[in-house]
Amino acid sequence: MINIVSCFKWVIDEAYVRATSSGQIDLESVDYKISDYDRNAIEEAVIIKEKYGGDVTAVTVGSPEASKSIKNALSRGPDRAYFINDTSFADLEPSQTAAILADVIGAQIKYDLIICGEGSSDLYARQIGPRLAHKLGIPCICFVQKLEIKDNQIIAERRVEAGIEIITVPMPALVTVLSDINSPRVPGLKDTLAASKKPVVNIGKQDLSGNYDPKLETRETRAASLKRSCVKFGSEAQDVSGFVQALLKAGAIR
Amino acid sequence: MSGVWIFAENREQSLELLNIGGELASQIGTKLVNIILGDNGQAQDYIDYGADEVWLLPALGPDQTLLAYAPVIADEAKQEDPDIFLVAGTLRGKELAAIIASSLDTGLASDCTFLKLGADNKLEMERLIFGGAGIQKVVCSTRPQMATIPARTFEPAEMKAGREGIKRELPTPPLSPLKLLARQNRVRESGDIREAQAVVAVGRGIEKKEDIDMIRELADILGGEIGCTRPITEEKHWLPEDLCIGISALEVKPQLYIGIGVSGQIQHVAGFRDARIVCAINKDENAPIFEASDYGIVGDLYEVIPRLLAELKKSGRAN
Ligand SMILES: Cc1cc2nc3c(=O)[nH]c(=O)nc-3n(C[C@H](O)[C@H](O)[C@H](O)COP(=O)(O)OP(=O)(O)OC[C@H]3O[C@@H](n4cnc5c(N)ncnc54)[C@H](O)[C@@H]3O)c2cc1C
Repeated sequence: MINIVSCFKWVIDEAYVRATSSGQIDLESVDYKISDYDRNAIEEAVIIKEKYGGDVTAVTVGSPEASKSIKNALSRGPDRAYFINDTSFADLEPSQTAAILADVIGAQIKYDLIICGEGSSDLYARQIGPRLAHKLGIPCICFVQKLEIKDNQIIAERRVEAGIEIITVPMPALVTVLSDINSPRVPGLKDTLAASKKPVVNIGKQDLSGNYDPKLETRETRAASLKRSCVKFGSEAQDVSGFVQALLKAGAIR
Repeated sequence: MSGVWIFAENREQSLELLNIGGELASQIGTKLVNIILGDNGQAQDYIDYGADEVWLLPALGPDQTLLAYAPVIADEAKQEDPDIFLVAGTLRGKELAAIIASSLDTGLASDCTFLKLGADNKLEMERLIFGGAGIQKVVCSTRPQMATIPARTFEPAEMKAGREGIKRELPTPPLSPLKLLARQNRVRESGDIREAQAVVAVGRGIEKKEDIDMIRELADILGGEIGCTRPITEEKHWLPEDLCIGISALEVKPQLYIGIGVSGQIQHVAGFRDARIVCAINKDENAPIFEASDYGIVGDLYEVIPRLLAELKKSGRAN
């Protein structure tokens, strides 16, 4: 029986992020989602539970609006959720998120294995996993693409630039996962119905006693402008010929 | 005490950090410390390239991982209180930097593409957010100000003859519970796409692995290399990881980038922002790649590629 915790983040879907005419980031008409790689983290927790027997707790920190994410996360298979929320938890930097997660997980949740996504699709700082592990005083293995458990030991295959490293460590431990570790299931109607019956523990700022001051301050944000000509051609032979002519003229091919 | 510290797993990135680190150190008026793995004569090399001090990490047992060094480096930082600590953003480097930052209770800006001392002498660090759609400028209010830096963000330092510096050995780290069972290095099948003057990238629009052959033919005619999107390496496993372009992979800056059957999600587009000319071939005229392209062909790649190959051959570009 393995107690597994998977952490996830409710983020702005970057596909909806636009630039204003003055070059600012336009978040007028954005949608939200569970961060891509966190879906892999939840899926991996559920796979491990199914394979070895266990129990999965999903945990998120965010603003109260992130409540929409809870049912979504639970429909993916975890047994319960912890929703740590406050209006001041909307735009946390990684050290804050990790400190809050560590305080709640450390004090309230039984864990043998913690699984985080490699990084969130909004900030993509890739710090939560290692920082959380350090705060809890447990070892961590990042960028894992294959995970096995044997005799209370984790055996992880993780990516490095030159290839892979296979690393083992006794539990409790934390891993961060890459997207190729699994393909997250698409929850069906039954899963969504089941999700509404699962327990959710709400935790507010008043329930926490730590100091969560930011260590990074954002001085400025702006849209990353991409100025391109955006000329489109058809696909007939003469169009393709025109395309090649344009490339020749631009000096892109010789 | 103070100082600008740098750490990189490899020489290439050490030289890049020696360059930017040296610049920052001279602006602050402090020393530049390079922490390195072992010493096979590299210490003097790094001193020649600008380090004032080189601190040597002792060799690890064969079953230890890079992370074993975290407590040693963090302990040094607690004693020495550096102003700035830059870590090369390899995957292992990012992991190590995050653990050290947590040990030091300080902030860490990941994958910074621009660094500058602000008017208040704080290090302003810029990084991409929202998959590359936005840029965030942050400062760190605690010490040391930490950042990870992707490869090739800064030019390598230049050698300065006749420099002298201090060499020092760092203590042996305690044994880490993490045990390395094996390390498997991938055999490199192609050149470095970051050096290519033309990059032809394939995406999920390709139906099967064999179809990459015709894309390779196109890349050959253009004198370039083949690249790809994340699903091609990670989901399909049709091409090796070192050909993947994007925010979580490699950044390329070729004269010409052509995306074929690539939708143009921002995480991929962020990997060729600095290409001179960008082209796309996609059957969906509303695919976001067209907004990021100079020249696009709207059409089925299986019809367009043969026509394009024929056209290029006609104009004498084929071998
Ligand atoms: C945190 C994070 C980091 C990421 N990092 C990266 C990264 O570094 N690099 C990366 O590439 N991705 C990255 N991604 C994934 C990225 O968001 C996209 O999912 C991915 O780039 C899409 O790849 P694609 O364009 O090949 O596939 P798709 O989005 O599926 O696009 C396929 C395209 O092919 C077109 N097509 C299909 N058939 C044909 C045909 N016959 N002829 C012409 N066109 C055709 C379709 O119209 C479509 O536009 C990341 C995602 C996250 C969340």
